Parts: sequence; C-alpha cells; structure tokens
Amino acid sequence: MIEVEHLQKVYSTKGSLLNRSQVRAVRDVSFRIPEGGAISFIGESGCGKTTVGRILAGLEAPSAGIVRLDGVNIHQVAAGERRNLLRKIQLIHQDPYQALNPAYSIEQALSAPLRIMAKQKGDTARTWIRDRMEEVLTMVGLDPASVLYKYPHMLSGGQRQRIVIARALTVEPTVLVADEAVSMIDVSLRLGVLRLLRDLREKLNISLLFITHDVAAARYLGKGGRISVIYKGLIVEQGPTEGVISRPQHPYTQALLSAVPVLKGLERMGADRFILAKEMNAQSAAETGCLFADRCPFAQERCFSEAPTLIDGEYQYACHFPEVRQVAAVAME
Amino acid sequence: MSAELKHKQATAPAVQVRGLNVVYATNQGDLPAVRQVDLDIEARKITGIIGESGSGKSTLVMAMMNAVGKPGQIVSGSVEVLGVGDMLSIDRERQRKARGKELGLVFQAAQNSLNPLRRIGHQVLDLGRSHDVKDLRDLLRKAKDLLTRLGMDADRVLASYQHELSGGMRQRVGIMFALILDAKIVILDEATTALDMLSQASVLEIVRELHKERGLTTILVTHDMGVVADMADRVVVMYGGEIVEEGPSEFVLSHPAHPYTQGLVRAIPRISGDIDRAVPLQGAPADLKTYLEPGCPFYQRCPVAMPKCQESRPTSLAVSQDRKVACFKVTDHD
Repeated sequence: MIEVEHLQKVYSTKGSLLNRSQVRAVRDVSFRIPEGGAISFIGESGCGKTTVGRILAGLEAPSAGIVRLDGVNIHQVAAGERRNLLRKIQLIHQDPYQALNPAYSIEQALSAPLRIMAKQKGDTARTWIRDRMEEVLTMVGLDPASVLYKYPHMLSGGQRQRIVIARALTVEPTVLVADEAVSMIDVSLRLGVLRLLRDLREKLNISLLFITHDVAAARYLGKGGRISVIYKGLIVEQGPTEGVISRPQHPYTQALLSAVPVLKGLERMGADRFILAKEMNAQSAAETGCLFADRCPFAQERCFSEAPTLIDGEYQYACHFPEVRQVAAVAME
Repeated sequence: MSAELKHKQATAPAVQVRGLNVVYATNQGDLPAVRQVDLDIEARKITGIIGESGSGKSTLVMAMMNAVGKPGQIVSGSVEVLGVGDMLSIDRERQRKARGKELGLVFQAAQNSLNPLRRIGHQVLDLGRSHDVKDLRDLLRKAKDLLTRLGMDADRVLASYQHELSGGMRQRVGIMFALILDAKIVILDEATTALDMLSQASVLEIVRELHKERGLTTILVTHDMGVVADMADRVVVMYGGEIVEEGPSEFVLSHPAHPYTQGLVRAIPRISGDIDRAVPLQGAPADLKTYLEPGCPFYQRCPVAMPKCQESRPTSLAVSQDRKVACFKVTDHD
C-alpha cells in the first residue's frame, strides 16, 4: 500500500539572482494505491505526471508532502533504511532502448541486482541467482535459454521492455511505476506489454502507478483501478477508471477523451466531442482562479477569479461548473 | 459516354506506383525493403499508409519522391505523379522542383527538419530562393497567412528559432513549409507520432481542414491505427515491405481480411466497448530474416498459416471493386 499526501515539487530555473523564477511542477497531489491496485495518471506533456513518478521512485525529493510505503514515511528514515524501502518501488522507463546497458548481456543486466540480494539474504548458492533469473524471465513471457546470452541490440523493442520489467521484478518490488512504458514500442507489441503489466498486478499483487497520455492504454491497464487526471501539477479529476471515461465531469478530462482518435467503422464519435485548439501556456502565471480557465471552452467569469477545490468523495473533481459531456467514442455494435 | 470519360479523368490517381522495388545494401547482401508495390493514390482523398517500424512505409513514400537515401536504392518501377510525370525517370532538376512545388513532405520529427541556426522566416526565404520564387515578399505574406490559419502568432513564429517553439508548433511550421509552394500532394510521415494526445488531435484537425479547403491529396504515414481510422478515406496496410491489404478505411476496420490487419485491429485498446476484447498480436515484427524468406512475410506470426504460405508469396489481388488483399486464405476461395 502506498499513500501520497499533498505532494509538492518546485523547481527554480537557472538565471541571475534577480531573474530566477520558480516552476511549480507538482502543486498538490494526493492519492493511495492499495496492494494489487492500479492508478493511472493521465495528462499532456508538462503537466507534472512524470515528476510524481520520479518522486515516488526516490529519484527526486519532494518540496513538501508525504510519501508512505506500508505506513512508513520514506523521507523520514535513515539513508540505509530508505534504500531498502525504495527497492520495493521500481520505475520502468519510457525508452527501453536507453534503459539497458548495450555492453551488458541480459544475464549480466539481471544478475547484478540479484548478487546484492543474495549477499543480503546470505544465500550464496549460485543456483539461486540462476533460478531467480529464469523465474522472472518466464514471468514476463520470454524464454530464458534464448535471451540470457543476448545483448540488448539483438532484441525488439517489446522484448527489451519485457527485460526492463523482468529486471525490476528481480528485487521483488511491491510497487511498479510505469512511465509511458509502451509509447516507444511497436503497435502490434504494445498491447502484449500492457497485458503483461496487468497480469503482474493480478498475479503478484503488485501496485501499479501508470503514467501516460494515452487514455485507452490507461483504461486497459487500469481495469478495476482508478484514473487521476492531472493538469499543471494539480489533480482536476479522479475516480474509478470506467466512470471517469464514460461520465467525465471536468472539461480538461473531456478534452483528453475527445482527443482520442475515433475508429471509423467500429465507433461513433461522441456527441459532445470538442478539440482543444489552444496549447498549454506554462508561463501564464495566473495563480488566481482555475488553472485551466484560459483554455477552457466553457469558462465563465467566476473561473478566472476563484480557484475550484477538489470535492471530497469516491469520485472527485475540481470545477465550478461540472457537467457530464458525451465526448468519448461509442462502440457501434 | 462522355460523362463517363469525364468521371474517369476526374478520378485519375494523383500518384500511381507500379512495380516498385527498393533495396538496402547491407553486408548480408541486398535487402528488399519495398517489394513489388503497385499503388494508386486517389486525388483529393486522404490515404493512410500503416505499418510497424521496418514495414517499408517510410521507404515507400521516400521512393515516391525519388528521395531514398543511401544505402537504399530504387531497383525498378515507376512513380507517375499527376502533372509531373515519372519521378524516377525525369531529370534531376525537374525532380528537385517537384519536391516542394507538387509534393510537400512533413517529416516525422519537425524538430530535426528545421535549421536550428536560422529563424523560421529566413528559412522561408531560403526555400523561396531555391525554388526561384520571384516575389519573396509575397511568399512571406503567404507564410504569414498559413501560420495564422494554423492558429499561431505568425510574426512571432517567423522571428523565432526552432528551439523557441513547442513540439506541436514545430509540427505546424512543418505543415506550413509543405504547403507554402502550393503543393497539391502532401505527405505526412509520422507527423504526429512524437506529440501528446492533445497536440496530436489539434494538428490532425488542422490537416483535415486544410485538406478540404485546398483540395489536397493527403498521404498519412503512421503506425497508429487510430489516426488512420479517424482521418483516412482509404487505408493501405504494409508488412515486411509489401502491401498486404488496402481498401476504404471503414470497411477495413470493421471487416479486416488479412490476418495481420485482423490482429492489428484486435490489438487496439479502445475507450469504447468491452476493454477485454483487445487481444495482443503474437510474435515479433518483421526483421531482416523475414525479408529474405521465400514465403509470406507474415507466415511466422500468422494464426491461420498453411504449408503453402511458407513456400510462396501471395500476391495482392482484388477481392472486391476497391479492396485488395495479399493472402492465400482470402484470395484462394474466390
């Protein structure tokens, strides 16, 4: 179980002392993932979703807020202890081409973390490492005998991403953070990797944080889980996956759903579909009012003066004028 | 009779590819990247060419412009472009003029196709000079109009360097460059792949509008079935350097005939319907070895493969008036 409360991250930009400005990448993000649960963060580039993942994986320290893993605040324990805790949280990068060292064979890549584990467990038998490698490779759907001796360049993108996932699994994590884990993979293999992550969640009871801009992938992976829609570092809508997709309340969620291409011949366009023409302006420092107001096609006066707050409950959204719009495509049959 | 003739002329294909073969020279011998491709690109329609990395889709469109880079080489075939002639046999100067004037290309990563050292405005002028445009002021005015049409602050963009623009904006600048010399055939090679969902949707919307306004012939090259299904009138599916299926996109999506297309369509995660109907496609994409096999390039991954498929390659045959499939399972029954 991982709990995140009021997470904040502020970066200051380089520049002269007078000219220095601050970027609030994450403003206020709270969520919890139960064991075996899944939460998908969706939003466009620059909305702060990757930063949330990096903080969770321990690659960045939050400016404020609490990250608790099984009840322990990971930022308030001694360094050694933290390292052990963070091992439970593994990050899967977007680019499987850069995540593996090209000079290491798959066997070398997988055995490095296992050797450390073997030492700690006092289990010095060489066979344990070997068995564990074969176990994780089988788990990710690869044949150990045919990949262990290979180097990354001999594998396809999908196979590489499976290796990266296998490597993350060697240390028996309880949380996986998958940051755009399938966007660089060939389409025909993409669903296979998504299916694998979903199976791991169910079989090994691993909690999953899936960061993506692809709503359909989030829907597939996050089945039975929750979706958080994030904009400029703030959660604007949060709820059960199917509910958010079929009954979106916030205009930003609706814009994201509208942007999903409609499969002509299989789907009908949602009746209220709209295309957001205006791009995100990171500089617009209008700190009063709703952050989305300058792009929102439904914005009214109140939106520019008063910031909406996330309403409490199972289904949350932050909008002054919430309205369900039928924007997602509808299956034809 | 004459009405029929007129109709025929009006629907003459904008690009007609016949018997096209492109090979890449490797140290394992020549590798056929595009094999025996026949293709008609209908004028004033949006044609989507879909395929995975290594399927030969980018090589095919580069060959249409006779711009295949080394070690690639066009071995045989012809590419008749309406109003230009055979791109593969006309003289080089005429080819160069045709690229830009008749055929506009929007690259995959517009960030890599713009000169990082020159302002966008200067690059517009460079383009004008290389195409002997007399009135450069008029060209700049056109650039401004186009940029405004694309929803940008034209003066700001023309005075910018590429690093000052966002990914979506650079992609729009790429579209401006493809259209500024009034090209009627526009090729977008993975033009929206690097963008996130929202910028992709707005760029596609603009492509759709411009296509209509200017009566363009648009060719969308992508690996994303969703983009093709949303935008294209016709879809061409490539696998292992060959066209395995083509037809009107709605029918290809609702009734895919080739096992590869069927697998692709099934493997799209959707936001509508039962999510568990999505099934992953088995096996690995076509690689070097696939190209050299004597049989069907999809044989290794095909769930309905027959012994015959390993021995000989199926050719693309018409299964109905506007639909072609290259699969023994489909064509042998007829």
